[in-house]
Amino acid sequence: MIEIRFHGRGGQGAVTAAQILAKAAFYDGKFCQAFPFFGVERRGAPVMAFTRIDDKKITLRCQIYEPDYVIVQDATLLESVNVVEGLKKDGAVVINTVKDDLDLGYKTYTIDATGIALDVLGVPIVNTAMVGAFAGVTGIVSIESVKKAILDTFKGKLGEKNAKAAEVAYNEMLKKYG
Amino acid sequence: MVTIAAIIYEPGNSIKNKTGTWRTFRPILDNEKCVKCENCYIFCPEGAIQEDENGNFKIDYDYCKGCLICMNECPVNAITKVREEK
Repeated sequence: MIEIRFHGRGGQGAVTAAQILAKAAFYDGKFCQAFPFFGVERRGAPVMAFTRIDDKKITLRCQIYEPDYVIVQDATLLESVNVVEGLKKDGAVVINTVKDDLDLGYKTYTIDATGIALDVLGVPIVNTAMVGAFAGVTGIVSIESVKKAILDTFKGKLGEKNAKAAEVAYNEMLKKYG
Repeated sequence: MVTIAAIIYEPGNSIKNKTGTWRTFRPILDNEKCVKCENCYIFCPEGAIQEDENGNFKIDYDYCKGCLICMNECPVNAITKVREEK
């Protein structure tokens, strides 16, 4: 079973990102779960969301305390939240930052998702780009399924743009780490 | 900053929540161009723009969330934005 935790700020779409990732895994023929952390959901506050992916039926219903992957949508969260809390030793972090020399004590993949989102969407909302980046570094879900999940979640032009953002992030990660 | 169950232990503690880390864009106020019209000071939803003792307006980056309303309202374009490197 693969467990993923998303860290974001309220309004950045962390919960939607968790759902898109779960949907993408579903389209890949896997079992999946997505759910948010129930806390103070207000715009800008640190929030969490979770995704579980497995080849067999998932019977667990609890929160994820020891994730395999952590996806951080905003690097300034490092100052207020311990994002690697409970992360497994061989786990990895995918983080949205322009810096290249972050040392979190774990394998870290960096991507300038804000730049991609501003380029493609015109707004600094990075959730779809982060899911694309995650697909790029881990290969746990295919980019086709991610795009399908995004088009299914957002209707019309918004879906197309977000799918594009995910694809750009995916390709960038392949180029950087592939 | 967020306590368990969002309990507030003392009054007036929202000042400890430095919301400035939320920014994607940082507004930069050019005091040379500024005509002291007070528009930014009035429109800033956070009260993060204040006049200092010399009559110049200053942006408090500890609390500015980077909404850029000030930039939009400035009649002489004295406020510009740069992307926050984070």
